[in-house]
Amino acid sequence: MSVEAAIRLTEILLSIALIQQSLEHIFGLPDERGHYLVRLFLAALLISGIQSQWVCVALFVNALFILKRFQGPYNGGSDLLSLLMIFCLSLAHMMPSSLWQEYVFGYLALQVTFSYFKSGWSKVIQRDWRSGRALEDVFAFSAYPASEVIRTWAAWPRLLCAMSWAVILFELLFPLAFITRSALIAGLTIALSFHVANFYLFGFNRFVWVWVAAFPSLLWLQARLNPLAWI
Amino acid sequence: MLNLIKLLLPALFPSWRFFDVIAPSPRVEHVLIDDPKDEGENWQESRPTPQYIVPLDCFKAFFWNAGWNETLYMSTCAERLVQNPMELNRREIRRRIRAGLLRKNGDHATPRYFRFRLIFVSRQGGMLRRDIAFVSPAYLCIDPLDQ
Repeated sequence: MSVEAAIRLTEILLSIALIQQSLEHIFGLPDERGHYLVRLFLAALLISGIQSQWVCVALFVNALFILKRFQGPYNGGSDLLSLLMIFCLSLAHMMPSSLWQEYVFGYLALQVTFSYFKSGWSKVIQRDWRSGRALEDVFAFSAYPASEVIRTWAAWPRLLCAMSWAVILFELLFPLAFITRSALIAGLTIALSFHVANFYLFGFNRFVWVWVAAFPSLLWLQARLNPLAWI
Repeated sequence: MLNLIKLLLPALFPSWRFFDVIAPSPRVEHVLIDDPKDEGENWQESRPTPQYIVPLDCFKAFFWNAGWNETLYMSTCAERLVQNPMELNRREIRRRIRAGLLRKNGDHATPRYFRFRLIFVSRQGGMLRRDIAFVSPAYLCIDPLDQ
C-alpha cells in the first residue's frame, strides 16, 4: 500500500468515526451542537475527497474549538486519537515530498503502536494489575461497567486475573506483530476484538471506530519497514 | 492561547496510560427541593447504570451511545471539579442534570430547585466506601438562561 493510498483510506475511516461522534452530539446541549454540525459537514466532505488538505485543516481548527469548549477531551482517549489523526493528516498534506509525508504518517502509526505498548507497560509495573486486583476494582466501583450485571464480574477474581494478564500480554507484545504482514493482521484482529470487548463491557463505542480508522497506518508502516527483509 | 496549547499537547504527545491506577470513582447525585435553603434528603443517582442491556440495545449502542458517553463525560467533569474547582465543570454537570430533569418532567418542574453532589467510591480494605466530595448550591430546575 502506498502512503497516499493509506492516507486516503485513513481519511475515509476517520470521517466515518467523526460522523458517528458528531451525530451523538446533535441532540446535546445547544452550545455544542454547532461545533458538531460543522464537524459532520467537514467529515462528509473528507469522504468525498474534495480539497482534502484544506478540509483536514478545517477539521483541525474545528477540533481546537471542541477542545476549548470542553476544556479537554469529551471522550478521553478516543478524542485524543481523533485529534492526533486529524493533526497528522493535515500535516501530511502540507509536506513538500512523499518522504516527509511518510515521516508524519509514520509518527501516527508509531503513536498507535504506543497506545497498546505503553498502556501495557503502565499496567505490568503495577502490582494491582499483575494480581488482577485493578480489574476487580474497575468492575467493582469504577463508573465504567455498562450495566449492573456486568458489574457483578467483580466477584470472579480468577477470571479477572486471567483477563488482566491477557490484556497486558496483548498490549506489550503488540509491536512484535510488525514482523510479518500476517502477524500484523492477526494482531489487528485481536486488537479489534479487544476494542469490541471494551465496548461491550464499558460502552466505549467511539474507541472502536477511531482505533479501526488508525489501522491503515499500521498496515502501511509494516509494509514500508518490512522487518523480515532486513534479515 | 497558552491554555489551548496546554490542552492540545496531550493529544499530540499522548501518554497512553489507560486504567493504570484505579482511582476513587465519581458518582453524580441530585436531589429535588422546594426551598433553596433546604439541604435535601432523597438524593438519587443522576445517571443510574442500567441493570441489564438487551442485545438489540447493545447493537444500537455501537452506533449511538450518546447518553452513556455523556454520563462518562459527567464523571470526567466530576473528577476535574474536585481536582481544580472551575465554574465550567460545575456548569456542565448542572446543565446536563437540568436537561435530564426537563426530559423527564417536561416544563412542569415541581419542586422548583435541585442540588447535586459528587460521591467518590473507593476500596478500603475489603469494603467499598463512599465519600461526599462536593455539594452544590441550589439551582432552579428551569432556567432558560442556563440550558
